[in-house]
Parts: sequence; C-alpha cells; structure tokens
Amino acid sequence: MSPRPLAGPRLARVLAIVPFVLAHPGITIAELAARFRVSPREIEQDLELLPMCGLPPYTADRLIDVWVDDEGAVDIRLAEYFERPLRLTPAEGVALVAASRALLAVPGADAASPLATAVEKLEAVVGVSGRLAIDVGDAAHLTVIRDAIERHERVEIDYYSYARDEMTTRRIDPARAFHALGAWYLDAYCHRAEGDRLFRVDRVQAVRATGETFTPRAPAVAGEEAADSALTGLVYHPRPGDRRVTLRLAPTAAWVADELPLDDRDDEADGSVRVVLAVSEDAFLERLLLRLGREAEVLDPPEAVDVRTAAAVRLLRRYRPAADAAAPRS
Amino acid sequence: MSERLERLINLTATLLATRRPLTLEELADRLEPGYPGELAARRRQFERDKETLRELGVPITVEAVDALGGEQGYRIHPDDYYLPDPGLDPAERAALHLAVTAVEVGGFDPLDALRKLGGAEGEGAGQAVASFELTPHLGDCFDAVTRRSELGFSYRGDDRRLEPYGILHRFGHWYVVGRDVDRDAPRAFRVDRLDGPPEVGPPGTFAVPAGIEPTDFLSSDPLTYGDDQPIRARVLVDSARASLVTGSLGDEAVVEHRDDGAVVVALDVVNRDAFRAFVLDLLDHAEVLDPPELRAEIVDWLDALAADGGAA
Repeated sequence: MSPRPLAGPRLARVLAIVPFVLAHPGITIAELAARFRVSPREIEQDLELLPMCGLPPYTADRLIDVWVDDEGAVDIRLAEYFERPLRLTPAEGVALVAASRALLAVPGADAASPLATAVEKLEAVVGVSGRLAIDVGDAAHLTVIRDAIERHERVEIDYYSYARDEMTTRRIDPARAFHALGAWYLDAYCHRAEGDRLFRVDRVQAVRATGETFTPRAPAVAGEEAADSALTGLVYHPRPGDRRVTLRLAPTAAWVADELPLDDRDDEADGSVRVVLAVSEDAFLERLLLRLGREAEVLDPPEAVDVRTAAAVRLLRRYRPAADAAAPRS
Repeated sequence: MSERLERLINLTATLLATRRPLTLEELADRLEPGYPGELAARRRQFERDKETLRELGVPITVEAVDALGGEQGYRIHPDDYYLPDPGLDPAERAALHLAVTAVEVGGFDPLDALRKLGGAEGEGAGQAVASFELTPHLGDCFDAVTRRSELGFSYRGDDRRLEPYGILHRFGHWYVVGRDVDRDAPRAFRVDRLDGPPEVGPPGTFAVPAGIEPTDFLSSDPLTYGDDQPIRARVLVDSARASLVTGSLGDEAVVEHRDDGAVVVALDVVNRDAFRAFVLDLLDHAEVLDPPELRAEIVDWLDALAADGGAA
C-alpha cells in the first residue's frame, strides 16, 4: 500500500480559505492562489471538495454552497460556522511574534513601521502584549559593516580569532550579515585566506575603508537555502586530521556537553558524561580545559593533560612573577 | 484521502455548530462519510480523526453529556476555535510576511500561520537576516504565558513552580521568566534545560505585576547574571586584548588606561563561575587585581590544575 497523503496540511489550508472567501465574496481563484501560495489548480480542488461538506443530514440546505463564475470569482454560502479562521497554535504564535520582534530588534530597524503595529495587534490577539522579548544584541561595528555590504565596499578589518587566540588584519568583500545562535555573523570573501570566510562581528576590532568597491559575485542564494547554508557554516565541522580529545565531565559540568560540537557522547549512570570532541587549535583546548578545571577528567590523549598543566603554569606567572610557579611534578 | 478529508471537515463543522456535546454514537450516526459500523474500528478511526484535528490545534473538548455525568461527549466551543480578528491592514500583512521570511524560525513553516491571518501579502524577504531554533517545550511555556497558567517542571533535577511572566530570547537561548513560587523571587530558566515537558496549570491564576518586562529578569551581560553576593572586581587586561574586552564590556567598565596600552576594567561579580570563565578565556592576557578573595580563587583553581601534571 502506498503511503496515504497527510490530510492535516490540506485541512489546515481549507479551514483558512473558507473564512477568507466568506469575508471577501467575489475574490478570484487567481488572487486566492497568490495569497495562499498554492497553484490555482489546488485552490480549485479545495473548492470542489466543499459542496460535499456541511452539516447532517447533508441535505441541500445543509451543504456548503460554492459558486465560481466565468471570471473565476468565488462565492461561498452556508458555511457560517467557518466564519473565522482557527486560532494560532502556541508554536505559530511564538514563531510569528518572535520573528517580528527579532526583526524590530535589529539595530537600525524602524520602530514606527507597519511591522511594529502588526506585531502589537498580533500580541493583543494572542494575549502576550509585551510578554515576549527578543534580544539580538549589537556589535560595535555592525552598522558600519552593514553599510559596507549595502554599498559593496571592500574594507580592511582587524579580527580576533577566538580559536587561535590571535589578532589578524584582513581585506574582505563583505557579502552579508546575519544573526544566529546568539551572535552576529559576517559572510565575506577574505583576500588573505583567498576564500569565503565567516566572521563573528563582535570579534571585529576595527573596520577601515579601502576606497575600493567590489562586484558581488554569484547572486545570493534565495531565502531558506541561504539561511541553511549560513547556519551550516556556523557549526564547526571537524577535519579528519583534527586531534580527538576524550573527556569525562562531572555531573555539575555535564551541561557543557550540550554546548560543544561532539564526535561522540556517552551518558553514564552517575550523571557524568563521556565526550569525544575534535580540536583543531591548541588555544581552544587550553581554554576549554582551564575553564572546566577539575570538573573535566582528561581520558585521552595523555598529552592533553600536559596542555592544561602548561597553560595553568603560564597563567600563574602573572600572579606570582617572582616566586616559582607551581611546577608540574613528573 | 478525499473521503477522510471530507469527514474531517464535516466533523469540525458539526462539533463547531452543535450547542451540546455529541457522543461518539451520535457522531457516527450522523456524519458522512461515515465511520465503520464495528465498534472497535469506529472508536479507532474516531481517535485518529480527533488526533489529526488536535495536531492542527482544533480545540475539541470532552464533556459529560448530561448532569449525571455518565456519558462523555465532544464539542468545539466557537470562542476557543475562532481567531479574533487582529485587524491587520495590507501593509501590516506584508510586513509580517517579510518578517517571517527575513527571520528563520527553525523547523517552522510560517505559511499556515500567515494563511490564518489572511495570506501572504507582498514579496517577502530574499535573504534571511536572522535565524532561531524553536526549543522543545517553548510552545508550552508560551501557552502558559498567554493563559497566565502556573508552570511546573523539573530543572536540572530540582522541581520548580513558576508564574511565567514572559519569554525572552537572549545569548542565543530561550528563557521563560517569572516568579518562582516556592522561592517567591524573580527567576529565569533556560527552556532547553527543562528536564521534560512542563505541566501547565489552570488558566488565569496570577496577574503579571504592572511595569515588568521580560528583559528585567536577565541582564544583557551574562557576567552579571547570578545569585552570588555582588563583589566589585578589578581585572588588568594587557594591550593585546584591551580593545576586545572594552568592546564587549563597554568603555564605561574601564577604570584605568596604562601607558603600555593595558586597561583595568571593573566588574560587579554576581556569578563566580561566569567571572572565572571570563578571566580564564583571556589566558595570560588578563589578571585579577582585587579583591584578594577573587584573586585567590583564580590562583587556587590554577594551582590545582598545575599540580596535576603528568598524573594519569
């Protein structure tokens, strides 16, 4: 037996179309198709279904009446019980309000725009006026960078690489800025790396004009695909040559496992978690192990313990410059 | 397919139009296309239909059909079903369409919601400027906020009761904020760290105090988010990382500029763990100057790790 098409999505559409036609008698099939983002044929199929529907005992006066004239203008009668669309589900409510609030929170957004009034009306209907807040943050150089993107201006940036703990200067062609996972990112062609790179805007330390402009290369991928590929770039993808480090996180530090890109994870009965993660840069491993302290037991490789010890000794020199910092015992 | 769809439409219409709860038997007698005659199959098919409708958010209630409370019946209260008209104009509908295409909400197709609001007006955005994930249980928390229902949940092993005043997205995470009933204190909980689905209590059991914003519950700076007794700390940051730190803390945190380009920043520490992470993240570019208590905490932490050398 072939899998049956799901009734739910089409039912949802029908339950939205009927009230709209009731409120807008004479609207055409073409207009409905554009508004509900389906083909005119699908609208026709939805409308063909309706005369079979209604209330018991399904006599002519109880069945929904649908008229479509030669110009495609639609009229529906005897469906008063569908006079309003179905309420938004909690997930729909939170997503709509969150998307709107997020866009309004982007630095430079117009607080008096139709979006601002739309979301207020929506919140009032859902019952969450002022109860949902979205903070997309700001970054010192975000506005300058967004302007450079708009004008296709090549710029020079001082950039702090967290993974390597180093400051670099690069010339870049900024393509697009977006917010995800709690931070602003910049997608740009980097002339130093000779390739596309993703930068965290809050780690950009300075932006300088070069006086040059660039021609945007391939037209940006539209909508969803662009966001997908952007998000994919954010998640660290281990390379085969990267070192693997195995840690046991104490129960109090187990939540860290949710924040790290892991190769493997094994939850143990006592609440501790065994994790395997790929590490490409020493500075990243040093900081991770320093921060976790004794809540992380290094299982493998043994050299990773030495990385932690050496880092701790190095940092201690700041606190005891004259005296001997506690030296590693052998 | 279309026969089931017809029955689902008819079931919704019948339950909406009825003024009293209808039993399964009454529904089976009246509805077309009909339910199977055999009792178990009829019940199964009806449960499936009910589930499909509930997944769409159709609010079917189960009520006793008479005062004696013997038999159960079903109906849809129109007030629970009908979306009140928000009164959007075409420009506002187009703005919402733009918002849901410019801001991606993970795993959420905004089309159904837009259709309920009168369809997708305008062109939408070509490129997303932001994206969010929808955390499991966020819908339940949002629902509780809209109904003013108390939430009960387990949070990292502790049972909590919360009067949810609002939802906040900050630092890339969703928080539900409000009054912790047992502690009688304002609290923020990360929704993705709830141990399971929360229990949503009866509606309208509390009022949100006037003038309270969701953002009040969680400082925009994670360093200042915590319950520890506040202590003012001074941290020396060398020139190589001075701009990085002042960029994230703001110029107002700087209490001293040194000739070599280093800066001293002052912080009110209310979360020792976050403070330690902040300092250690700067590796040997930073040093806690005072108070002695916090300086000693960092030294003790590092001493413990330095003494670990070579141990298996």
